Amino acid sequence: MGPKNDVRYVGKPVSRLDGLEKVTGQAVYSVDIVVPGMLYGATLRSPLPHARIMEMDISEAGNVPGVRAVVTGRDFPFTFGTVIQDQPFLAMDKVRYVGEPVVAVAAETEAVAQEALEKIKVKYEELPAVFDPREAAARGAPVIHDDLEKYVRSDCEIIPGTNTCTLNAYSLGNVETGFRNSDEIFEDDFYIHAVAHSPMETHAAVAQYSPNSEEFIIWSSTDRPYRLARDFANGLSIPLSKVRFISNYSGGGFGGKGGMIAEAVAVALARFTRGRPVKVVFSREEELTASHTRHASFIRLKTGVKRDGTLMARRAEITWDNGAYAASGPSVAKRGALTVFGPYRTPHIELVSRLVYTNKETGGAYRGFGTTQVTWACEVQMDIIAGRIGVDPLEIRFRNGYREGDFYINGQTLHSVGFRETLERASREIGWGEKKAGKVGTKARGKGIAATIKGTNTPTDSSCFIKVDPDGSIALLSSSVEIGGGQKTVLAQIAADTIGVPLTSISVPNPDTNITPYDHAVASSRTTYHMGNAVRIAGQKVRKKILEMAGEVLKVDPGGLSLSEGKIVKEGAGEQITLKALLAKRFGAKGGGILEEGYFTPEGSRLLDALPGLKGMSSIFWMFAVHAVEVEVDTETGVVKVLKIVAAHDVGKAINPMGCEQQIEGAVIMGVSNTLFEEFKMEKGRILNDTLADYKLASILDIPEIIPILVESHHPEGPFGAKGIGEPAAAPTAPAIANAVFDAIGIRFKDLPITRERVLAALKKF
Amino acid sequence: MKVAIELEVNNESYKVEVEPWTTLLHLLREGLHLTGTKEGCGLGDCGTCIVLVDGVPVNSCLMLAVDAHGHRVTTIEGLAADGKLHPLQKSFIEKGAMQCGFCTPAMILSAKALLDKSPQASEQEIKRALAGVLCRCGSYQKIIEAVRAVTEGLENGA
Amino acid sequence: MKRLRPFSYFEPPNIKEAIRILAEQGSQARPLAGGTDLLVRMKRGEITPIALVNLKRISGLAQIKKESGKTISIGALTSISAIENSPLIRSSYPVLAEAAGVLGSRSIRNLGTLGGNIGRASPASDMAPALIVLQARVVMEGLHGMREVEIEKFFVGPGSTILSPGNLITSFFLTERAPHSAAVYLKLGRREGFDCALAGVAVLITRLAKKNEAREARVALAAVAPVPLRAKKTEQVLLSGTLDEDRIKEAARVAAEESSPISDMRASGSYRREMVRVLTFRAVSKALTLAERGDRGS
Repeated sequence: MGPKNDVRYVGKPVSRLDGLEKVTGQAVYSVDIVVPGMLYGATLRSPLPHARIMEMDISEAGNVPGVRAVVTGRDFPFTFGTVIQDQPFLAMDKVRYVGEPVVAVAAETEAVAQEALEKIKVKYEELPAVFDPREAAARGAPVIHDDLEKYVRSDCEIIPGTNTCTLNAYSLGNVETGFRNSDEIFEDDFYIHAVAHSPMETHAAVAQYSPNSEEFIIWSSTDRPYRLARDFANGLSIPLSKVRFISNYSGGGFGGKGGMIAEAVAVALARFTRGRPVKVVFSREEELTASHTRHASFIRLKTGVKRDGTLMARRAEITWDNGAYAASGPSVAKRGALTVFGPYRTPHIELVSRLVYTNKETGGAYRGFGTTQVTWACEVQMDIIAGRIGVDPLEIRFRNGYREGDFYINGQTLHSVGFRETLERASREIGWGEKKAGKVGTKARGKGIAATIKGTNTPTDSSCFIKVDPDGSIALLSSSVEIGGGQKTVLAQIAADTIGVPLTSISVPNPDTNITPYDHAVASSRTTYHMGNAVRIAGQKVRKKILEMAGEVLKVDPGGLSLSEGKIVKEGAGEQITLKALLAKRFGAKGGGILEEGYFTPEGSRLLDALPGLKGMSSIFWMFAVHAVEVEVDTETGVVKVLKIVAAHDVGKAINPMGCEQQIEGAVIMGVSNTLFEEFKMEKGRILNDTLADYKLASILDIPEIIPILVESHHPEGPFGAKGIGEPAAAPTAPAIANAVFDAIGIRFKDLPITRERVLAALKKF
Repeated sequence: MKVAIELEVNNESYKVEVEPWTTLLHLLREGLHLTGTKEGCGLGDCGTCIVLVDGVPVNSCLMLAVDAHGHRVTTIEGLAADGKLHPLQKSFIEKGAMQCGFCTPAMILSAKALLDKSPQASEQEIKRALAGVLCRCGSYQKIIEAVRAVTEGLENGA
Repeated sequence: MKRLRPFSYFEPPNIKEAIRILAEQGSQARPLAGGTDLLVRMKRGEITPIALVNLKRISGLAQIKKESGKTISIGALTSISAIENSPLIRSSYPVLAEAAGVLGSRSIRNLGTLGGNIGRASPASDMAPALIVLQARVVMEGLHGMREVEIEKFFVGPGSTILSPGNLITSFFLTERAPHSAAVYLKLGRREGFDCALAGVAVLITRLAKKNEAREARVALAAVAPVPLRAKKTEQVLLSGTLDEDRIKEAARVAAEESSPISDMRASGSYRREMVRVLTFRAVSKALTLAERGDRGS
């Protein structure tokens, strides 16, 4: 249809569409929402990790002047859960972690609501608690969910009567044969700790219930408004049409805003405030202790290799620490487990993965979605193997690394495999193989490398509308929330180039499930690919319609017309008319517009073909990343200074290179922070370090020099060849740092975090 | 119980009555509806509440509103003059120095306070000036680039 | 998010009024200086004062002044950042400016005050060790008049001082330092970004002219004892002969022994103790180098 489009925006480091709002303080986040008649909520939380609720006295709280509602689980006896519907909005018969919401109060001011909490008396009968998932999985452990088998749940295998709520097993080939044919066998145990998302904007939501229409409106920073609406409707057994999510800018999510967190409390309160909206804003303490965490996990890897480092067989046993409720744990466990073998060809594999409840804060979606955890184990062991057999750690990864056309563990053919290039460029940039500097005083330097493979949840759907107004301005209506990853900008770039209009003519309003059509979520690094394709599809329709309209108006064959920068151009004859003028001519004084839809799903793509029955494990695209790190360790203090991180990421095609750099740099810093500074200090199930004074995040003084490298392997079905970026970026950092620390001081860390004190203890300095 | 105070916020005078236990942060966000300043923790650990008081950065969550009486407060909303962006705001956009944007107002104000005193601040000085603002999105590297671009611009008399 | 409970509020225009109100209100009233510690504890519900007495309307409490006889006074309400940036402090007592510069973040330093920091008497106070090695004196005022005491005698226990309700710190005095004298404050946290000290060491050495020996040695430790601790045994080691590497190592070892750090969620006692050893060695070495160079401190 006409000569090919110019590509003017895709591939360019275009400035963020939301930049202006954010630098001027105009951007509105959930914490900023003010709605007429709004009340404020506060939550009374369980002080115990596992207990039965015996008695509750809320009468005094209700009498505090300004209090408008006091709600308990008895008033609002509903549960929710994306995979297993196991989580009460407000605790009912028992509490399962310190911090679980028990009673909610809505009042005219936040101060009054908080004060009223102190007037509530709850009597608990403490139950034995369990904090280690291995203990929790063992026979005789206290059972956290007595009714596990009765819960409504989608596809996931549980062990009834126990704390194991997801079991996955998979094998290919025969690992015993593989081990027999190996020259060397390695068996190592790894532990990766739970960490907090701790976005700068805490969880916050405003909920309003209209008693007459029985409809709910929720203002939220969630990254998945439609899916949350569905979880919510399922939880309350009401039609989806009665739930409306209005999205604001999100002050960071990193996966943590995918669940019903502040929303659950706000909704429970709104139900009882006679139509007055209720705002719930989590304190930083609630954010750290009563939202979601990354799943901690114990991973045992047994690997057999040939003398030259070729992988023969690998067996993985993973125990995921779910915390008190399932949330998206079953998916994290399943999808994480499937990447435990890394981006390597391994003929014989076996994995056993179990997700186990414990009496702690709920584990949920956290950047990497399980891949971060397994990458820790896989990549540290790759170095252990390399070290023992005397092969360079870079070489062993080249030797085994996936290449274009290799098979993934389910037989899916891998396309757009930029892995080799990420290894090459990262290792070159860090100066791999250069003569190592000796110890200077008390400081020793070292380099380390680690790789990861990450897929995207497949299949998932995205839809959008593109609306052209009579003056030529264009609105892209999609439910992709701007969570900070530059979603709006990338989608607008794709739209602009697909249609052929200036980027400045495109606006991307915030999602509203009453208006913007279905999207799965901003998660799983899926937005550029899925919503990007939906935008491309809609954009092509819009372009076609415009050119047909131009053909009619100009009385020429539309086949000879093209649209570029908002101008209709006739082949060989130059500009004919602007889009704006065209629309004015076509619609005249009566007005009008263009509206087209784009719907995309990867389902049905031949790229997903796999061994019979195993298509469910395929991913429509696979992302590869390599981090190469240089550290300096002070052997007297244990201080690990990360000097430089080279992060090479295969993104398919960088729609916005600056946006990709932002994500890479950001995830690297998160990785450094998780690895060196972050740790929950627990005492009998209670998190002691519940403020940012003691849950340390990396500050601007803690960052290394970060060199992001974009590798473009061009995906055949991605928009302009793009894949994704956000999720894998956090995975290789921890093992790369650990491998560098080993290179520096000969200490092998198999457990995280690598704090100063742990380093010094490992050096046996005290 | 309420105390009458007068303060200037973004070059506008305000006469308000506040309860002594109201922080400057809440006066700005709730009393004056200037929501660009954020409450990330309320305890002085995260820096997202930073505003300039007489040109000097402070954690507004740890300052009582009554202590702003007689002082000039600058919030992020006060930076662009007559619709014209401050060089730091422009640079942050150009260099991609924000992602979710929640810490951006505090970062920009902290940088402005630094550059107003040391227009040619070094990278180390920039880091020290911004060390009190946490950015979980990890935009630090580009934030440093954005501030340096302004120092270099100032150097060239731009 | 974080709301303060209501309290009675006073803005005394002078010290006398402030003292009168505080004495009247009793221990349930608190003086408000910078608020960076008080307001945090109130918001966390750790303390619930019924009254706050705002000291910041009192003039003359926030100055750094040269007094007679080469003494410098620092008003109790002087901000930490004023100390960090004061040309006078940087030239005469650089260790104090150094300590001020590692306390919290810039925006916190702009609010926090020296009087507030010392009055809070956290064992981990960054300002206390520097004041101790500088032999600072604390001036207090109460209903019974003014009193002056050496800073070491000011602290009684964690969060506890000799001040009783109705008494306030009004200023600090520092006397002139001897020539060939240098002081250093080193601190270790959990990250490079601001943190409370897991261990902090301040060292002041006055060298004998032309000899690698100390005429004066003062060592003070943060975060490793119930109070900011003057490490007297360590000082004795430093005064006992030539300051070669062995003696410095011995001093560092003794400093670690003199400390009595607890284990808490931030660090174990043994790690803190080892950090005292390492930081003391480094601080002494650095102070010696600076004293040799004729500098007074970093």
